[in-house]
Amino acid sequence: MTLQCERLDSRRSFLQRAAQGFGMLAVFDLLLRDAVADTVTSQRADLHGGLHHPAKVKRVIQLFMNGGVSQMDTFDYKPELERRHGESIDFGLKAAVTSPLGTIMKSPFAFRQYGESGRWVSDVFPQLAQHVDELAFLMAMRSKSNVHGPASYLQNTGNVNPGFPSLGSWLSYGLGSLTDNLPTFVVLPDHRGLPYNNTGNFSAGFLPAAHYATVIRPNNAIPVPFLRPPANATHITGESECEGQRLLRELNANHLMNHPDDSRLEARIQSFELAARMQTSAPEALDLSHESPATLSQYGIDNPNTEPFGKNCLIARRLIERGVRFVQVWSGMGGPKNNWDNHSDIPQELPFIASMVDQPIAALLRDTRERGLLDDTLIVWTTEFGRMPFTQGATGRDHNGGTFVSWLAGAGVRGGTAFGQSDEFAYQTAIDETTGYDLHATILHLMGIDHTQLTFSHNGLDRRLTDVHGKVIQQILA
Amino acid sequence: MFRPTFLVHCVLSCMLGLLVCTSARGDVKDIDFQRDVRPILQTKCLKCHGPYEPAGELDLTRRESAIELQAVVPGQADASTLIQRITAADDAIRMPHQSPALSAHEIAILQSWIVSGAHWPAHWAYEPLKEIEPPELRSKSLQQWCQTPIDYFVAAAQELRGLVPSPLANRRTLLRRASFELRGLPPTTDELNTFLSDDTPDAWAKCVDRLLESPAYGERWARHWMDLVHFAETHGHDQDRPREHAWPYRDYLVRSFNQDKPYHQFVREQVAGDVLDPLNPDAIVATGFLAAGPWDESSLRDIREDSIDRVAGQYLDRDDIVTTVMSTFMSTSVHCARCHDHKFDTISQREYYGLQAVFAGIDKANRPYDPDPKVAGQRASLQSQLRDLEEQYAADPPALLTDEANAIVAEWESTDEAMPVRWLPMELVSAVSQGGATLTVDTSHHTVLASGTRPDKDIYSIDAITDLRQISALRLELIPHDDLPMRGPGRNDNGNLHLNTIRCFEVLTEPDHLREWSFKKPLADFNQQGWSIDMSVDGDPNTAWGIYPEVGRLHQGVFPLSEVRTSSQPQRLRIELHQIHGGGHLIGCLRLSVTDVGASLLEQSTTIPEDIAQILQVPRHQRSMDQRAVIAYWILTRRLTQQLGALPTEQFVYVGTNQFAADGSFRPAEKPRTIHVLRRGLLAEPGDEATAGALSLIPSLPSQLAVRQADNEGARREALANWLTDQRNPLLWRSIANRVWQHCIGRPLVDTPNDFGQMGAMPSHPELLDWMAYYLQQHGGSLKELQRLILTSAVYQQQSTNRTDGAEVDQENRYLWRMNGRRLDAESYRDALLQVTGVLDSTIGGPSVRQFIETPGVHVTPNVDYDHFDPGDPSQTRRSIYRFLFRTVPDPFMEALDCPDASQLAPQRNSSLTAVQALATLNDKLVVHLSQRFAESPEADQPELEPQVRLGYRRLFGRDPHNDELQRVTEYARQHGLANACRVLFNTNEFLFVD
Repeated sequence: MTLQCERLDSRRSFLQRAAQGFGMLAVFDLLLRDAVADTVTSQRADLHGGLHHPAKVKRVIQLFMNGGVSQMDTFDYKPELERRHGESIDFGLKAAVTSPLGTIMKSPFAFRQYGESGRWVSDVFPQLAQHVDELAFLMAMRSKSNVHGPASYLQNTGNVNPGFPSLGSWLSYGLGSLTDNLPTFVVLPDHRGLPYNNTGNFSAGFLPAAHYATVIRPNNAIPVPFLRPPANATHITGESECEGQRLLRELNANHLMNHPDDSRLEARIQSFELAARMQTSAPEALDLSHESPATLSQYGIDNPNTEPFGKNCLIARRLIERGVRFVQVWSGMGGPKNNWDNHSDIPQELPFIASMVDQPIAALLRDTRERGLLDDTLIVWTTEFGRMPFTQGATGRDHNGGTFVSWLAGAGVRGGTAFGQSDEFAYQTAIDETTGYDLHATILHLMGIDHTQLTFSHNGLDRRLTDVHGKVIQQILA
Repeated sequence: MFRPTFLVHCVLSCMLGLLVCTSARGDVKDIDFQRDVRPILQTKCLKCHGPYEPAGELDLTRRESAIELQAVVPGQADASTLIQRITAADDAIRMPHQSPALSAHEIAILQSWIVSGAHWPAHWAYEPLKEIEPPELRSKSLQQWCQTPIDYFVAAAQELRGLVPSPLANRRTLLRRASFELRGLPPTTDELNTFLSDDTPDAWAKCVDRLLESPAYGERWARHWMDLVHFAETHGHDQDRPREHAWPYRDYLVRSFNQDKPYHQFVREQVAGDVLDPLNPDAIVATGFLAAGPWDESSLRDIREDSIDRVAGQYLDRDDIVTTVMSTFMSTSVHCARCHDHKFDTISQREYYGLQAVFAGIDKANRPYDPDPKVAGQRASLQSQLRDLEEQYAADPPALLTDEANAIVAEWESTDEAMPVRWLPMELVSAVSQGGATLTVDTSHHTVLASGTRPDKDIYSIDAITDLRQISALRLELIPHDDLPMRGPGRNDNGNLHLNTIRCFEVLTEPDHLREWSFKKPLADFNQQGWSIDMSVDGDPNTAWGIYPEVGRLHQGVFPLSEVRTSSQPQRLRIELHQIHGGGHLIGCLRLSVTDVGASLLEQSTTIPEDIAQILQVPRHQRSMDQRAVIAYWILTRRLTQQLGALPTEQFVYVGTNQFAADGSFRPAEKPRTIHVLRRGLLAEPGDEATAGALSLIPSLPSQLAVRQADNEGARREALANWLTDQRNPLLWRSIANRVWQHCIGRPLVDTPNDFGQMGAMPSHPELLDWMAYYLQQHGGSLKELQRLILTSAVYQQQSTNRTDGAEVDQENRYLWRMNGRRLDAESYRDALLQVTGVLDSTIGGPSVRQFIETPGVHVTPNVDYDHFDPGDPSQTRRSIYRFLFRTVPDPFMEALDCPDASQLAPQRNSSLTAVQALATLNDKLVVHLSQRFAESPEADQPELEPQVRLGYRRLFGRDPHNDELQRVTEYARQHGLANACRVLFNTNEFLFVD
């Protein structure tokens, strides 16, 4: 049962009506679909949806590996670790963040070169490795925190403290939505649970509620919050909904007559119509039954190990296709296990979690390219920090913000490139260091936003996603 | 080039319909710097020409700088480089650099201002408060309209712009408006009827008084304050642990607002109540303010103390406190000076770190306190006696031996309690560790020492023999030892141990022929909180006895046998010590003894230490002076300790404090931590050590803090509390006056309520703000007095309906020619639903109610499930302010209605209208549940539907339905049931908005 039981006005006609009656801007503002009020009127066709300059990217899928992916066991090949394996090396540290210093540990995995670019990838990512020529690697990223909480906030919101808006919320605020039928910013958490900081990582902070993430849990009875009345409310039927909506519209219309020119009231009336559309569109977007067996198999949905993440990747693709602006897909939950936080046993834990995402990510890259989505979609793979070149316990590695790896693929990105280098141990960045601020600045840049110009005034400061930092990483751009 | 003279400019301005140069009398008037000039400088110039590293050293926040560099030559616009640069034709020279040029109007304002002498008053917010006369009005009708001094200020601003106020709102609208504003609840039908039928002239004033006296008033304003200080009840990072003792601060807020506590006292208590009034529980709970924000448990407790992230975490945590204090009370963005001097306001980095130094001695933690002031007084007195005793004993032990003390000793020694229990150490035969540790037996001292491998868990099995023929109890001594971490007596890194289970077997003839002896209630000289000795015999392998934090000391556990065991020959016992908690919580060194004394004596004497017991065995007249002093000191101390122990148990409250039990490596600072001025905010670049201090931006108020005792953290906070509430601090009063206005009227006078600095907004009615600030200060800081005045003003009582004539001049209603309509906030909407349904539980205060299912998570953070929580659970009917606020998993329903992220200071709420919000108000299970409850309520239990619909209208909207409404809704209810009809009414705009 849905609210959409009769033809609803299109948004366009509503806005036309609104524009005749009273200030169109006010309606925009209240609906908060197109958030930076001054720019609404100045959105220019030649910017391709960009805010300050032409956009190359319209939408983004971010794959966030929660827990701190070990760089030297995945993409950052370090022969020096093999040579010095077992040695104690003085890094000038008294201790790592949670443990005493161990001895140098070489990667337990074999590395090979792939593609024309010859990128080194370890055996934990056999399928992803086939795509290195499409990826632009940031090989020397640094985090100023070595602790999950602040570091995860930093990579998501540009601030080590809680309470700041995340990348997705900023994009929603800056660019608005591409569709009225679905939320602008969607998060698909790991099927086992929320990441470190729970929903704090995708908070809208001080931005209005319109920019909140919609958390979708495809396996839940109600995958999108509030999409349906509670299951036990049997008195609510399709018919009662239809007529109830009609009655509500009538009552609200009568009320509006006594409140002339009150744009908020009319905006709320319209919000019920948008809600009705979402009720139809969201289940359709989450319904994989029309995907071909070949596609399902490609994403690994026929294999219990890859099924959960594969399903989320496929849903991400479907959401992007239908105009969702930003989808964040998480691998790993909070807590000491079932994530990339491999403190105790790299040889066992890392291949296990990597095997859950390897095939789905490869499929996502292939599928989005084949469908032409990558022409205006960006895929970003990130984590909150890297790990130590020396052991924790017998074969684990502790947190290390000194250097870690992220990559980008898709529109506007030069595949097969790598920017930056870590030192010989992959302990610290060495050349061309980048930060989460730079990554955010680059993503905004690709979407036609000057990261220094996208601001929101809060508590005495014009806040930015990139704080006072951030430079666009031109070297990886097409 | 266009160079208008003053006159030309005025003509131009008048043509453009500007107000800058004409007063109400129509003749030439000076430009107002604050109103006209400052906004231009602020938006066009200060980005580069602020006080922090100004471009070309020109600081356009200071007149001196502008004049010295001839940017402004008073009286001579052409000679002023400011004018030359903003009018330059060459883009390379023209200012603002690489930005659009100033408009002709803006240029004209600056020119006129310079020509007229470049009057440049100090920043408005920092000027002293003084008494202001309300302005005079020319219009007779406006004069008649005014009911309070406030109205004169508002009317004058309207008169200047040709605006006229809106008519008086009807009583139903007024009451609904005021009821939501002051209580966050709609009026009841009875309240409405009372007000409607009151035809006395002061009916409205009486109505406002009733609302102000309602206990719900405190709840409403406490919720505003919680937004402001980002109060929530979990830590908010990756280890988002619930704070079970945060709620007393919320109750303090409710009480304080209800009592109309003088605002300056309210401020002082929250910053340093524990120091200023240590015996007042309210003043202690008030410091929950300092701990309202998030806390990074990983960084501050769990990671290694010697890591850089620990220190970084501490600086960030203090930043949170400093930011909250200065944003809340001073509306000052001091946090902008963390990495460099403030770019716009005169706040140096040194001053910022001076404020960090004020809070360098506290952490966010659970501190014990006595909710009963009388008990607090007794405890303080006993503790002070204990301290005196300790000092006296340290200085001159024999001096303790006064007649009074000797009498106390003699009396005690005559009791049974003084009878020393004779413990006989057992002869050790063997000691085996199942976990592989090395257990070394020392037969001369009768001890067992563990060394070598430290397994996670272990079970010791010790065989020992005793000659004692009658055994009533077993004693386990835990002995400190230099080879153990923290001197033990445990083997864990922190010196602790956990004894999950102790078992005692009598070894009969054959070694494997055992008979178990059971124990009665055991005794210990010390129990770790939550790990008491009872737990070593409770049969539950998950609980244990521990001694943390009293490590490095001798401890004893006494285990009385269920029945006294007798034997005619030496007995061989096997003692099993199960230590299976994990993490190496193992006993390091121990001794086993037995006794034959009776149970009652055991209980009393368990806590007599060995050295005292030995002296007690010496006949009194043979004891040395020193021995007598040792005994006296011990007995006197014990007496006081017992008296302390007899007091009601202390409660905990989550506050900013150094009074808390260490938790791992998170321990209280003994004295304030050293704070450095961090260049660029980087730990790697520490500059000078910072001294506790305040801000210098208020000319009349020195920035130095008068700290009684420099290294006393409490003295530092006390000094800051004094500074904040100093009579010469105008910001405190301007800040709160603006907030009171904001919540009453729906919009603040200063649109940036947490920033009154150079980059903040200008007050729309500067004189009104100052008048109210002064009024508050003069009326003992009574917020209710000011609210009463605002609510009884003509401004407040206007209709909110839009008017074309008003909108044409002032569309956003800055000048209050009508009242602002409002969307209900999340809490008000939810509470209103509860009230109209008749299920609202109006209980005030107490522990927060979890309106979600909480289950243990894989680590610290629990799992939080709102989806499956029963909407019919009684806790759902409490007011929203009593919801347990979980920082990283906020209630999605409240979030959809703009309840702010509790990790961020929220001086103003957003008020959005979204599709997700529409879905939430339609489909949230509580909304649906309440619509059913409403339909089932006894009052609605009538055979006819029409009266039920009428009832709904009266409860929800305070009015009867019109005929067509009645028909339509009744018809719908007939077809689809009253619950569905009710759900529709819950979703109407009339219910969600307030006129």
